[in-house]
Amino acid sequence: MATHSDLPLLLLMTLAKVVVVLGVLLTAIAYIVWMERKVVAHIQSRWGPYLVGPHGLLQPLADALKFLFKEDIVPDEVDRPIFWLAPLLAFTLAFLSISVIPFGESITIAGHTIPLQITDLNVGLLFVLAVTSLGVYGVALAGWSSNSKFPLFGGLRSSAQLISYELSLGLAVVSVVLIAGSLSLREIVEQQRGLWNICKQPLGFLLYFTAAVAETNRTPFDLPEAEAELVGGYHTEYSSFKFAMFFMAEYANMVTVSCLATSLFFGGWLGPVFGPPLVRSLLPVLWFALKVLAFLFVYIWIRGTLPRFRYDQLMGFGWRVMLPVALLNVLGTSLIVAWRSV
Amino acid sequence: MSTIDQATVTRVKQVVAARSDGALLSATEPHADTLQFAIEKAALRAVVEGLVNELQARFMISVGTDRRPVTGDFAILHLFSLDHEHLYVLLESPVPEKDLRIESITEIIPGANWAEREFRDAIGIHPEGHPDPRRLLLADDWPEGTYPLRRDFPYNFQPPSVENVRPQLREPPAGASVVPMGPFFPVLEEPAYWRLFVEGETIVGCDTRIFYNHRGIEKLGDSVLTYNEIPYLAERICGICGFIHSTCYCQAVEKAAGIEAPRRARYIRTIMLELERIHSHLLWLGIAGHIIGFETVLMQTWRIREPVMWLCEEISGNRKTYGMNTVGGLRRDLPNQTKPKLLETLAEVEKETIAVRNAIVGDTTLHARTKGVGALTNEWAKKICAVGPPARASGVAIDARIDHPYAAYDEVPPQIATQEAGDTWARVLVRVGELLESIRLVREALSSVPDGPICAEIKEEIPPGRVGVSVVEAPRGEAVHYVLTGGDNRPYRWRVRAPTYPNLQALPAMVSNGTIADVPITLGSLDPCFSCTERLETVDRRTNEVRVYSHAELLEISRRKARGGGTR
Repeated sequence: MATHSDLPLLLLMTLAKVVVVLGVLLTAIAYIVWMERKVVAHIQSRWGPYLVGPHGLLQPLADALKFLFKEDIVPDEVDRPIFWLAPLLAFTLAFLSISVIPFGESITIAGHTIPLQITDLNVGLLFVLAVTSLGVYGVALAGWSSNSKFPLFGGLRSSAQLISYELSLGLAVVSVVLIAGSLSLREIVEQQRGLWNICKQPLGFLLYFTAAVAETNRTPFDLPEAEAELVGGYHTEYSSFKFAMFFMAEYANMVTVSCLATSLFFGGWLGPVFGPPLVRSLLPVLWFALKVLAFLFVYIWIRGTLPRFRYDQLMGFGWRVMLPVALLNVLGTSLIVAWRSV
Repeated sequence: MSTIDQATVTRVKQVVAARSDGALLSATEPHADTLQFAIEKAALRAVVEGLVNELQARFMISVGTDRRPVTGDFAILHLFSLDHEHLYVLLESPVPEKDLRIESITEIIPGANWAEREFRDAIGIHPEGHPDPRRLLLADDWPEGTYPLRRDFPYNFQPPSVENVRPQLREPPAGASVVPMGPFFPVLEEPAYWRLFVEGETIVGCDTRIFYNHRGIEKLGDSVLTYNEIPYLAERICGICGFIHSTCYCQAVEKAAGIEAPRRARYIRTIMLELERIHSHLLWLGIAGHIIGFETVLMQTWRIREPVMWLCEEISGNRKTYGMNTVGGLRRDLPNQTKPKLLETLAEVEKETIAVRNAIVGDTTLHARTKGVGALTNEWAKKICAVGPPARASGVAIDARIDHPYAAYDEVPPQIATQEAGDTWARVLVRVGELLESIRLVREALSSVPDGPICAEIKEEIPPGRVGVSVVEAPRGEAVHYVLTGGDNRPYRWRVRAPTYPNLQALPAMVSNGTIADVPITLGSLDPCFSCTERLETVDRRTNEVRVYSHAELLEISRRKARGGGTR
């Protein structure tokens, strides 16, 4: 543990990690958008972005520039402070939850061991759930403050959807916590050294993944922004960088739930490790990244394959199917855990 | 020509004679399948009632004609079809200039609602007892008392706009609020304004404003263009099924003038019409997928559709707007060397369409989104005079290709399938079935195209005062063209009714009690086709003042904005 003599060093280290993680995350988001456009395009027999850079690789850069230079339109009748606050909230909260995700074991530089995680909270999992729940406010407030019917519908739908699916998501996570006996993500990952949780909790994983798709407003649960009926949904009135913040928040959330799925069910950074010390400490990061990428691919794949549900069908599915199954799963898991510990 | 039962003809005459009660002015048979009756306007309503109740006649459209230069009066003509008897019945009433009123028939036929509002707007004959006093066709800032389809209204005359007009929109019932869909909306390719009255997300009513840009095509047809120029304009009525309109117009003129298009021309018309149906239905399937958030269906069906467009280009030189039709036949032959390629492409399209069909039929999410959604009952479909796939999906077995055979459909008859459910899913099934049937029809027609000329020789001028009615089964339903021949080598009156016209009138009943989320797909399942716009309407929320900006004003505002002097 850190004594106050190496407090400055700790601070510096954490700051460095924050900068690196944030930088990687932002770049990753830009290229997830690129990957999404490419993958969906190929599913639909198109080329996707192709003109900016080789295979459209510079497209994200062009998009970012475009968002920065577009006119920022604030409609007359909006509730200005909240209209400004909403994208900030969505953006900040989406990026906050990444701070407790462990993306590797640890790295040793000049005698100092640095855990590859911004901070290892002992209630890390709770922290993620709390922060993602708060994310609803961004969407709900955007819908409310726009003072227009389509955003309002989008905002209301989204709030209802997120709250409904949050329950099943939470319950799916509870079953993992029951097995691990810890809320720290690092510990949950460490405990999967023998067997990944996906083998112990296949149903829990299915529930988690379905709920996560709904949590991130992705197809087939992308009702808050169903353009066919709600124009742009909650962000109809947003433009320029305020819109980009919602956009990035959505993709950051995708990354977060994928990281969480990896940590909870697929053994996080665990994987074969070999070679010299530096490679040994960096390989886990690679395994982690690959697993997360696989999840992101599944997300995109789903988008290319499924049509959108209708709002009442989505809510019906959440409350009538997901929630009872999740409850049964928790019940079953606790019975087994209790029986084993006796 | 399918055989017309003389007993039916006699029966129609009896019903008209009995109901008109001595007010029958004349009864003529311009063509074997067309019966025309002139009736005094006081008895018109009674005769319409007789036709509908006793003979189950289907209302098609009303035509208002300004006959003042010829007979000194106006005339209203109601067009009916006895589908299974292969007959058209035309009821005409003279309307004197001194008393521009006629009894409304909307009470008997709900589907006549728009037709009557339209002749009120365009000719100025007032349908008495019509439930809706609002405009349909004319813009809100069009001056009162100016009727564009009258003969003394020059085609290029622009009346001054009326300032500060309020759009005539209905208010929602107490407790309901309005969700606007349109005039511009992401899933509507064309402008239309639906005011949905909602309680929560449940729809309790709806109001419509369309005709945002009436292009005055009929007016051009009877004032500027000549018989053989009109096919090119007719083709531009629709952005998808243009060939349907040019064929329908040519057939109406051919019928009126007694010209027989050669057999080969009729076969080639059939082939082109069915190719158009194939690419139109594939386009629709994609749009329907897009509406319910299934982008992959959109991309795939449009990819499958593309070779059909190339074929059309190879045959006519254009992907769309072929310019092939002319009065009396065709301008351009079907080159024999395209035949093998045509068959090859069709086989490929068929294979892929079947793959898409199998994928769609088994998709449970699609079922959930479309089954029981936007149901159109059989009874209402008949009353509102729905046509095409929406009618057939509601169990109304009508198809112009069978009921009033044209082109070569008497020799290559289609097999039509109906569904009973009347919901969006039924409309999907009907269209997918038709798609495959069209492929079969093209093949069959191709194998039996006779040799010979492609255009009839027309030696005499087309005599004035003749009537021709023609229908064509467009992908969206039955298109109707009515031509009354005139002098100066042009029609005296040319009336067009596109299939969306009756079908859109069915929408309010279909979306009622549904949710907002169902409206786009319900509207989409009608495969609507409107037209383009250039106007914008704004409401100032502080003063509730409604302003309609002119094109020049909009241009000015946008330029001012661009120069940096914002209007905020």
